[in-house]
Amino acid sequence: MTMNRTIETDSREAFIEEIEKVQDVLPKRIDANPKNVEKGLAKLVLTLVELIRKLLEKQAMRRIEGGSLSEEEIEGIGETLMKLENKMKELKEIFGLKDEELNLNLGPLGDLM
Amino acid sequence: MDRQIKTLQDKNSYLDLRKQERVTLLEILDRALDKGVVISGDIVISVADVDLVYLGLKVLLSSVETMERLRGAPMAGAQEEPT
Amino acid sequence: MKIYAYGIIDSNSGMDEPLSGLGEASVYNIPYRDIAVIVSELSDEAKGKTDTYILEHERIVERLMEGFTVLPMRFLTVFNTKKDLISMAELYYEDFKDNLARLHNKVEFGMKVIWPADTIKQRVFDVYHKTKHNVSISTESPAKTFVKEKFQEHIIEKEFQEEADRCIQVVDDYFNRIACEKKLKRLQTESLLLNASYLVDKDRQNEFKQAFEQLKNAPSDLKFLFSGPWPCYNFINLTKKPSAVDYFNTEDMLNRLLAQQGFAQERNSV
Repeated sequence: MTMNRTIETDSREAFIEEIEKVQDVLPKRIDANPKNVEKGLAKLVLTLVELIRKLLEKQAMRRIEGGSLSEEEIEGIGETLMKLENKMKELKEIFGLKDEELNLNLGPLGDLM
Repeated sequence: MDRQIKTLQDKNSYLDLRKQERVTLLEILDRALDKGVVISGDIVISVADVDLVYLGLKVLLSSVETMERLRGAPMAGAQEEPT
Repeated sequence: MKIYAYGIIDSNSGMDEPLSGLGEASVYNIPYRDIAVIVSELSDEAKGKTDTYILEHERIVERLMEGFTVLPMRFLTVFNTKKDLISMAELYYEDFKDNLARLHNKVEFGMKVIWPADTIKQRVFDVYHKTKHNVSISTESPAKTFVKEKFQEHIIEKEFQEEADRCIQVVDDYFNRIACEKKLKRLQTESLLLNASYLVDKDRQNEFKQAFEQLKNAPSDLKFLFSGPWPCYNFINLTKKPSAVDYFNTEDMLNRLLAQQGFAQERNSV
């Protein structure tokens, strides 16, 4: 069935493992009805909250890296981030949602997070 | 390819072949499933069927026999009686 | 009878030899101006099995490549009627012509690279602990401990990403001069450092393969998967892309959500 096509590797199992992980993602990409959104408004809301939380965390880390924050400010940020993370854990438990479920597939744009 | 499973070594070659075919299939999937000329919209029904497709493909990935059937060439030796 | 499409070719004359496709149906061409769409009819029985036909699809496309420049269709592109197919050809004609010209006499090669992600992370971790950082804290508190941990994660992740980019650069350099175009997907998983596709002139195939041999033989802790030549799946550029609406129909989605919450009637879809 082939042209003179070759497929050459020294580690078949390793590649089979990794590629299959990636291909598990494929149906979501071309699925016209993102399943995780179908399941409810709560998921949608929590997904967005999680996005914001992660962005805040990332931004905070960048500022700390930049060295522009005082110890007091670091303490303040730490408190806030901790509370946010704990609150999200609580909410996820209440709604029975896992981390992987709090994502949105934007088709050709890939996943939100 | 003339293959008869007589020894453990032969069996390993057989398993190697299965892995090779699996890699081939994965490589094809990596391209044809998602790339190429991608047309969508009302006139094309490919998008709607994709979930069903994927389930089918997962079955395919674990079935060497199916691959044999598709190629139209039995894996010589795999079905022969060990001597 | 639906029509299954395999690809677009740069010729409108008929097929020279008979070819049999999905479900044993004859493969034929539907010409449009100076190009053609290569198709076969999809019977209802065959439609039920389309999920397993990807190898057939690939076989046909590769066969076509022997005689023509081919733009391979994504697997499972099916048209309800010939009229629909012609509409599509009309809509995309300019795109198809451009791509056929650009991809003439070229093939695609693929290369995937696995790297030891855990070892790299460990290395980054070790370096992190030897380096002084901005998070110098005089008093401890739960909040500060939290921040320190998050910061560590952040730096390690950042270094990991930078290391990935460095590594990809080194690998890619082997092929840069030879390939016309490339598509690089980095870190699809932590271990799958690179999933690269290279567009290569048919006449430079051997040169390209040799470059891979060199890369393979260079000492490293990387694992390689090299494949090709392939039809140019990764190098089709369509200016008329499917709109976001095709993938993510917001109005439809909203209706479903509201219906679930009991707020609205579900509209009948056409």
